[in-house]
Amino acid sequence: MEGGRVPVARRQLLAEPAKLVAAVAAVAAAVALVLLLSGLRRGLGEQVTTYLDRQPPVLVGQAGARDFLSQTSVLVPGTVARVARVPGVADAAPVTEGYAMLNLHGKRVLALLIGYDPGRRGGPWRLAAGRRPASLNELVLDRVLADEHGLAVGSTLRFRGAGLRVVGLSSGTSGFMTPLAFTTRATVNAMNRQPNTASFLLVTPGRGVAPDALERRINAEVPGVSAILRDRLAANDRDVFVGAFSGPLLAMILIAAAVAVLVIAITVYSSTRDRSREYATLKAVGLGRGALLRLVAAQSGAVAVAGTALGVVLAVAASRSVPELAPKYLIVVTSSDIVRMAVAALLFALAAGFVPARYLAALDPASAFRR
Amino acid sequence: MTALPFGAVPLVRRQLLARRGRTLAGVLGIAVALLLVLALKAIFAGMESRLTAFIDGTGADVIVAQEGVTTMHMTQSALAAGTVEAIAGVPGVASTEGFLYKGAFVETGPNGKSGIVALVGGGPVPNLIDGRAPRSGEIVLDRVLADTLGAGEGDVVRVLGARLRVSGQVEGTAAITGSFAYVARATLEQVLKVRNVVSYALVRARPGTDAGELAARINRDVAGVTASTRASFAASERRVVGDMSTDIVRGMILVGFVIGVAVAGLVAYSQVLAQLRDYGILRALGLSARRALMIVAGQVALLVLSGFVLALALTALLAAVLPELSATLVLSLRPVDVAQAAAVAGAVALVAALVPVIHVVRVEPASVFRRTS
Repeated sequence: MEGGRVPVARRQLLAEPAKLVAAVAAVAAAVALVLLLSGLRRGLGEQVTTYLDRQPPVLVGQAGARDFLSQTSVLVPGTVARVARVPGVADAAPVTEGYAMLNLHGKRVLALLIGYDPGRRGGPWRLAAGRRPASLNELVLDRVLADEHGLAVGSTLRFRGAGLRVVGLSSGTSGFMTPLAFTTRATVNAMNRQPNTASFLLVTPGRGVAPDALERRINAEVPGVSAILRDRLAANDRDVFVGAFSGPLLAMILIAAAVAVLVIAITVYSSTRDRSREYATLKAVGLGRGALLRLVAAQSGAVAVAGTALGVVLAVAASRSVPELAPKYLIVVTSSDIVRMAVAALLFALAAGFVPARYLAALDPASAFRR
Repeated sequence: MTALPFGAVPLVRRQLLARRGRTLAGVLGIAVALLLVLALKAIFAGMESRLTAFIDGTGADVIVAQEGVTTMHMTQSALAAGTVEAIAGVPGVASTEGFLYKGAFVETGPNGKSGIVALVGGGPVPNLIDGRAPRSGEIVLDRVLADTLGAGEGDVVRVLGARLRVSGQVEGTAAITGSFAYVARATLEQVLKVRNVVSYALVRARPGTDAGELAARINRDVAGVTASTRASFAASERRVVGDMSTDIVRGMILVGFVIGVAVAGLVAYSQVLAQLRDYGILRALGLSARRALMIVAGQVALLVLSGFVLALALTALLAAVLPELSATLVLSLRPVDVAQAAAVAGAVALVAALVPVIHVVRVEPASVFRRTS
């Protein structure tokens, strides 16, 4: 018998469209969840280096500095001057940065507060409104953060005992964990009670000076500091932030994958059980065990492919609508994520297809004629 | 026709048990969907408990920070030495102790392993399980970090460019965001080149002085500070995790809800479709549409309830197993989170029951006699 001419798998799947829709929706939700979680993790990594990505290729911090965000670094005025004198340094702009745990409407909101010297590097690179900070207690706030909390140019923000007046709003500086805020270095130093210090120097190499060579030279010539390439510093920041969430995220991804396998298995198994009489008939008219298994595998594969396709569409649509709906988040769904997910979904389908295999093998062809 | 006593027949149970494999898979699916919600909440609750390990262990009645500061993690606070002296002079204060609090990395060498810590310079060293409190040039690490770095008592580690000798170990502070490490205040002052500044001050009240009243008195008498009782400071610190994870938790609840509805709906709908003929017979024998509806709703409710109980059990299992696999991953199951997951489960049951209910209510009693397949 040439069973391949009759589209049995398709007909069986489409016989109960509501069931098929629920199965595809559940697989799609699981696939979209995996893609969005992976995309959120990647987006988080990109957001934490938003500031560093805009800075010159070499940074100098206190000896042992290896991280821009999570580590304390204090440079005294003498050190700043010594670094500036190293041959090959075109500019060494001091900044004092640190986390700012803002209390906005009774909710804690973490930001990264950058204190820079007006007129030098380190400040906001794009303004959406207002102007840059010029004197003590003036603040430029990320536009998205300001919008979320009803702050605008002219608002005053109480922070660490100081009344910071918002004089400008920056764009391209938002982030889920670390939106940026800018003020003068003198303002941050006053709050830290450490006048004239800096936490990092933003070092611009002179024309023709290789950043890695300059890094080595500063480390060799200036005691008590660590010069480090911007890209390495950014990678370390990403490791700390993203690494912290890797364990829980992996657990969530595994749970979502388990849901996908389970949903496909439920669909295929219940469909197989409900059609035991049809399968017994097919067996009775000569369809072999292998062909029956292929029939089931085709159904589970179809659910997996349709669910994955829908899940990918949902994830991509969600990631594209995020900048409009929730601009502080960045979800980066890459094609490699999608390919990996598609391969995994096919493996899920294969695993789920095995569930009714034993049942089909034991199915008695004669049972088709019993009732 | 007289209706048969359907109430005496456990129809819900029998129909569910008629296809055990599918019922089991459905329960498992719902459990996994709810596990998404419960596990995530438990992870965040675990993080909260570790965040306050130091605060809880200080024994202070009141914690004083720079004005407007009520947290420690990812927070900057600076108090002048004169301010700490002023606090000591407030009536009802028995003692004050200032300490520095900074984020840092502990490294075993230039290319060795490293771990992020909240570095406390000065103050008590709670939960010391091995060795002694740090003296000048020494450091106490959490046991988990010490094991990760392979740094035992007497070994030298690097912190902010300084070489410090490990003098002891504490426990119970390691979380996925890092752990606590302790040094002498003079050591950290030297490393950071700060003088006469502390981050926070720990205050002990005189016997008979209420901590809340003392905090209010300090806030009134000393300028530029925010004093909180230890309990309220710890609660504020815990809220950092809650405030920062609200959106993620909401998203996960939504996804758990969608998956739960899809799985529960799928199983209930498959069940009903397979038993449509049975329902026709029951309706022909006098089962009312309302009663048929209740049977389907009962099936979905039982599925979701079983899934919820299984999800709770799986979360408890994860809470027991995960810390053995990774000492920084601590799960804590709180009644409020269980109640939230129960609410999600209830919503799942309600929505998932809709389609099968409509199907069953529409079954005509006569349909059973129309075909014989």
